[in-house]
Amino acid sequence: MAETGGPDRAPLLSLRGIGKNYGAVVAVRDVDLDVYPGEVLAICGDNGAGKSSLIKIMSGAQAPSAGTIRLRGAETRFRSPHDALLQGVATIYQDLALAPRLSIAANVFMGAELTRPLGLKFLRVLDRARMADEARAYLRRLSVEIADTRRPVAGLSGGQRQAVAISRALRWDAGIVIMDEPTAALGVKETAQVLDLIRRLKSEGRVVILISHNMADVAALATRVVVMRAGAKVIDRPAEGLTPDDLGHMIITGRDVAQ
Amino acid sequence: MPGLIERYGTVAAGLALIAAFAAFAPNFAALGNIINVLKDTSFLAIMALGFTLALTVAELDLSIAEVASLAAVVVGWLVQSKVSPALAIGAALATAAAIGVVNGFCVTVLRVPSLIVTLGTAAVARGLAFMATQGVAFVGRWPTGFTGLARGATLGIPNLVLWLAGVTAASWALITWTRTGAHMTATGEAEEAARLAGIATARMKRLGLLLSSLGAGITAVLLAANLSSAAPNMAGDYFLYAIAAVLLGMTMFAPGRPNVAGTVFAALVLKVLGNGLVLLGAAYYVQDIVLGAIMIGSVAVSTVVTNTPAFANTLAFRARA
Ligand SMILES: Nc1ncnc2c1ncn2[C@@H]1O[C@H](COP(=O)(O)OP(=O)(O)OP(=O)(O)O)[C@@H](O)[C@H]1O
Ligand SMILES: [Mg+2]
Repeated sequence: MAETGGPDRAPLLSLRGIGKNYGAVVAVRDVDLDVYPGEVLAICGDNGAGKSSLIKIMSGAQAPSAGTIRLRGAETRFRSPHDALLQGVATIYQDLALAPRLSIAANVFMGAELTRPLGLKFLRVLDRARMADEARAYLRRLSVEIADTRRPVAGLSGGQRQAVAISRALRWDAGIVIMDEPTAALGVKETAQVLDLIRRLKSEGRVVILISHNMADVAALATRVVVMRAGAKVIDRPAEGLTPDDLGHMIITGRDVAQ
Repeated sequence: MPGLIERYGTVAAGLALIAAFAAFAPNFAALGNIINVLKDTSFLAIMALGFTLALTVAELDLSIAEVASLAAVVVGWLVQSKVSPALAIGAALATAAAIGVVNGFCVTVLRVPSLIVTLGTAAVARGLAFMATQGVAFVGRWPTGFTGLARGATLGIPNLVLWLAGVTAASWALITWTRTGAHMTATGEAEEAARLAGIATARMKRLGLLLSSLGAGITAVLLAANLSSAAPNMAGDYFLYAIAAVLLGMTMFAPGRPNVAGTVFAALVLKVLGNGLVLLGAAYYVQDIVLGAIMIGSVAVSTVVTNTPAFANTLAFRARA
């Protein structure tokens, strides 16, 4: 499998002329972006460059003011994050997406609970045992061993919580996983764990799109880097061979180090 | 995860209290007294179960007592006017449900916090109840087909206790067995997370508030049937008790979270406590003082046990962009 996409392959997700205004503020202007299978795409840029705004459009959290989105070749719209999820685009939110007092299994299956028939065919009840088992299996796929997934999320470490959030994406079998600063609030060890989770997703053939201000993370993980500046995409290149210093330089100058 | 003491500490305390009254309060253990306590628990627990379902979706329903009084007046009025009991009950439940729908609409569409909305609808319901009765009570010799709902017994078990068992089982099955129940719980625990996971959170909130009003309506019908009368403030005494039952119930089984089993057991404990105090000769006002202390103490216990501020999801006057 090729590490990075290229013009010879069909893009999975493709943005054309995407723009986003908040009133008079232009957060994103005329962005074209193709995302290919097998990629870990890092979106970089200074504060206020428009990274989050762009990602919100890809995740269905916000509608673009201009432009079109194609998914697997067909033009589409994401009416809500849930609509995007149904189309295979999952977004991992930093704090918003988990209910700490509910069980790990309930969090993984939130909104998509498993049921089993209760005697009569039309009467179905929650299948907690299967949800607990399958939640454990999803976590194991991410190399996170949690024996009892009926425990509340509250007792988990930051890295484990990310794993629970990512398990929900696996539950939906999302082909594209979007993360906005997935390691922002984490310590060194937990950051390493999350980077590992991202590698696992990649090894399963899923596309990961992430925003990060941590250049070491980006250099270690990304197969492609996009740099944004004042809402526009100014650089889009393979990440291969880039050092954290190169990345920092590109963000500050807005120019590709190779040029 | 909360340990055994956190989950069952207050349950054990409640059982100890019941045992203590059985041992020391004169006549407490007499069958007649126990049946009376259980019947009285039924009214309280059914109303409190409604409040529990509203709190499950992180909304407060402060209108339950006035909604119950209004529904009682409706059923009393119609039964008094010789309308068939079934129709009268249907009208009372529909009245309660209508207020639940209004509460849900104001909370989810107009985005007024439930604390305010339900205080408002409580006042409206009280006004309507006084309007319907002109301040006096409907009293009469009502058909046993109606009064038997509360006063009768089936296979030796008081009907009131059967009603409580039915409403408890239905609430419990809804919350623990169904996807809708899971969606209600997720909505109450983490609204934003639930919404992002595709749960129709506004619909769940409307459902919780509707079921809360319906619980008040059922309580009203049973109260009117039991007393053969309906007055415009007849459920008022149950208001603080119902809230206390829910709060005390939140210290049981699933600490910090409203739960069906906790609410019903707590309602029993509160009624036992009230009854026991009376039998021990305590002055009537002691009950109120104890009740207030239990309400505050319960929330303090929940907060300490779960180490999170209670009602963090409920009382925030959230504004969403
Ligand atoms: N909801 C909003 N209303 C108005 N302006 C907004 C809104 N969201 C973002 N903006 C503006 O749009 C621009 C881009 O913001 P965005 O959050 O996309 O940047 P970012 O690259 O994610 O920044 P950071 O690195 O700080 O997260 C900024 O000028 C910001 O102030
Ligand atoms: Mg951002």
